[in-house]
Amino acid sequence: MEKIIVNPVTRISGFMEIEVHVENNVVVDAQTKGLLLRGFEQMLVGRSPFDAVYFTQRICGICSTAHAMASSLALEDALHIQVSEQGKYLRDILHGCEFLQNHIRHFYQYTVPDYVKLPTVHPLDNEHDDYRLPEKINKRISDNYFKSLKVSRLAHEMLSVLGGKAPHNHGIFVGGIAAAATTDKIIKMKSLLQEILVFINEQMLPDAYSIAEYYPDYFKMGNSFGNLLSFGVFNHYKELGTLYVDPLVFTVNKDGKGGIIKPFNQKNLTENIDYSWYKGAKNEYTPTEITTTPDMSNPKAYSWVKAPRYNNLPYEVGPLARLWLTGEYRNGLSAMDRTLARAIEAKKIAEILTILLDSLLPNIFVQEKYEAPQHAEGSGLIDTTRGALGHWLKIENKVISFYQIITPSAWDFSTRDTNYRGTAEEAVIGTKIRDMKQPVELGRILRSFDPCMSCATHVYSPGHETTTIRIL
Amino acid sequence: MTELVYSNSLMAAEGERAIQKLMDLVNSDEEFILAVEGAIATKNDGLFNIIGRWQGEPLTALKAAKMLGEKAMHIIAVGACATHGGFSAAKPNPSGSVGLQTILPDKKVIKLPGCPTHPDWFLGTLASLLMYGEIELDRRDRPLLFYSTTIHDRCPRRTYFNQGIFAKKLGEKTCLFKLGCRGPVTRTDCPTRQWDGYVNWPIGADTPCIGCAQFGFPDQMSPFISFDTTEES
Repeated sequence: MEKIIVNPVTRISGFMEIEVHVENNVVVDAQTKGLLLRGFEQMLVGRSPFDAVYFTQRICGICSTAHAMASSLALEDALHIQVSEQGKYLRDILHGCEFLQNHIRHFYQYTVPDYVKLPTVHPLDNEHDDYRLPEKINKRISDNYFKSLKVSRLAHEMLSVLGGKAPHNHGIFVGGIAAAATTDKIIKMKSLLQEILVFINEQMLPDAYSIAEYYPDYFKMGNSFGNLLSFGVFNHYKELGTLYVDPLVFTVNKDGKGGIIKPFNQKNLTENIDYSWYKGAKNEYTPTEITTTPDMSNPKAYSWVKAPRYNNLPYEVGPLARLWLTGEYRNGLSAMDRTLARAIEAKKIAEILTILLDSLLPNIFVQEKYEAPQHAEGSGLIDTTRGALGHWLKIENKVISFYQIITPSAWDFSTRDTNYRGTAEEAVIGTKIRDMKQPVELGRILRSFDPCMSCATHVYSPGHETTTIRIL
Repeated sequence: MTELVYSNSLMAAEGERAIQKLMDLVNSDEEFILAVEGAIATKNDGLFNIIGRWQGEPLTALKAAKMLGEKAMHIIAVGACATHGGFSAAKPNPSGSVGLQTILPDKKVIKLPGCPTHPDWFLGTLASLLMYGEIELDRRDRPLLFYSTTIHDRCPRRTYFNQGIFAKKLGEKTCLFKLGCRGPVTRTDCPTRQWDGYVNWPIGADTPCIGCAQFGFPDQMSPFISFDTTEES
C-alpha cells in the first residue's frame, strides 16, 4: 500500500492537506485534513451583538457576504425583527453578487488550470501531462481565463454599488441593508448584471461543457454518499414565492437505490467530534448545546474539522445539491457534475437577480435603531455559494455570550464518524490514480467541491500528522 | 515587468511541486519582492501555521516568512493581519498571531493596513518599487500616497459634522460619527479613491467607517456600530 500526501492543495480558498492510501493505483482510504479551530467563535464572546455582522465576514474574504447573511438572520431571530420584502430583496441581491463572483472565479481561476493548458508563465505553469483539449478549444478557454478576471470583478462592483465595498461589505445588516436603493443605483446594477450574464451564457457555460466533453471519465469519479442538503436560499418571498430552493434534504435509501426528499428540520442537526481534536461535555451535540475546546489527546483524531451530521448521516452541500433538490439537474453526482452545476447555477443566480432587481422599489428605507436585549437566542441558516451555512448565537447582558458557526466546507470536508467517512473523503475512494507522481485526480475531485478553508492555518503536534486548521 | 512566482490561491502547481518554486527562488541569486497576506501564528514555534510540505516536513509560515524576508529586496505586509495581526490576533488571539514586522524586527516592512487592502494600494506600491525603486512612507511605514490623510479630513459629510447633524440609524445621509464612525482616526484615501471599480465606499453606503485600515483594528476599533452614542444625554 502506498501513501500520497498533497499539501498545499493550491487553487482553493485557504490551505488544505489530503492524505490517501492507494492499492494497485486505486484509492482505498482518505483523510481530508482541514481546520476548524473555531477561534472566531471564541473571539466573538463579550462583543456587541451588532458587531457580529461585520466581524464574522472576516472569517474569510471569499465568502464574507455569506457570513453577513447568516449573522444578520441570527440577530433578527434573536431580536424578533421582521424584515420587509424590499429589505429581503436588497439583501439577497448583494448575496447573489457574491455567488456570481465566486462561481466565475472558482471555475476559471481554480478549476480550469486542472484541465486546460495555460500559458507556461508563473504562476500558471504546471507539470502534469493529462491535458486533452484540442488546441482551438484549449485556446478559447485559456483566453477566457484572463477575460473572466474582469467579469468576476464586475460582480464585486455590483455588490459595492449598494454594499459600499467587497469583500467585507457594509451593506448587509439587520433589517436588510443599510442604504436605500435609488434609481441610478438600480440601473447601474442591471447594466453590470447584463454584462456578467452575457459572459456566463456565451463563454462560461460552453467552456464548462467543453471540459466535460473531453474529460468524460470524471462523470464516473468523485461520487460521494449521495445525501444532499440545503438550508434554502432565494426563497419564501411573499409575492415572488421561491425563486430557487427551499430547505430540503435528499437521503439515499438504505439499500442504496433511490432516495427521498424531505423538508429540512433543524432538530436533526448535530456535530460530532469523535475524530476531531476537541473535547466537550459530549462528543455529539446540537449547535446551541455546547461549544468544544481544542484537545489533541484523542488518538483517533486527525483533524480540526468537526463532523456536522443530519440524522447522523454525512451530507453534501453546494450548487449540485441545490440543483438536484429542485430537480433542475439530475445527470449525476460526480466531480464533473459538480463543476457543471456550478456553471449552470451561475446562470440561474443571474436570472434570479434580474427578477429581484425588477422587483425593487426606489428609495425604500429599511433601517431602524436597534437595541441589544438582555437575554436572547437566535439562529441564522441559509444556503450560500458553497452550501449550507449556520450561525447560532446567544446574548447575555447585551453582549454575545455564545457563538456557533457551521460552514458549508465543514459539511463537505468533515472528518469521519464511527460509521461514515466525510463527504469529500468518500468522494475520492475508488479513484484510479493514473500516475502516482502526478495525482491530478485528487485535486480535480477536491476542487469540484469548491473548498473554502480560508483563514486556514496548519497545525502540527508531535505524534500527530500535519493537518489544516481553519481559524473561524 | 513582473513574474508572480508563488501564490497559493492562483498557482497551477500543487503539493511539493508548488513549494519547490519557493525553494528554487530562495536558493537562487535572483532578486525578489516578498508580499505577505495574513498574520504569522507564533504558537508552538509557528507550527500552528503551516503553508505546505517540503521534503516530507511541514513548512511553517513563520519559517518561510523569516527565510524569504531575509533575502527579499523589498517586503510588503498586505492587509491588517499582515501589518499588525488584525482579526487573526483579535482577543483572545487563539493562535498567538502577530504582524510580519514582529518576526522581522530589523527589516523594513512596508505596511498596507486594511481589511481588505485596496488593490490600488498594493499595486501602486508594487509598481512604485518596480519603476522607481522606492515609495515614500510615513513614520509607521505606510505609503504616503495612500495613507497620508484621515478619512474625516476628506469626508463628503464633513459639513454635517461641523454643523452637528448626526445620523441615528444606518442608512441616513448625514454624519455617521455618533454611530461609531472611525473616519477621524483612520488614514486612507477611501473618500476620494473609492472601491470596486471606484463605485462606492462604506460611508457612501450610508454606514460608518469601522477603521479597518487603522492599526489596532479590530479590537481598538470596536464596537463597530454603537446605537447608544446617539442617546441624548
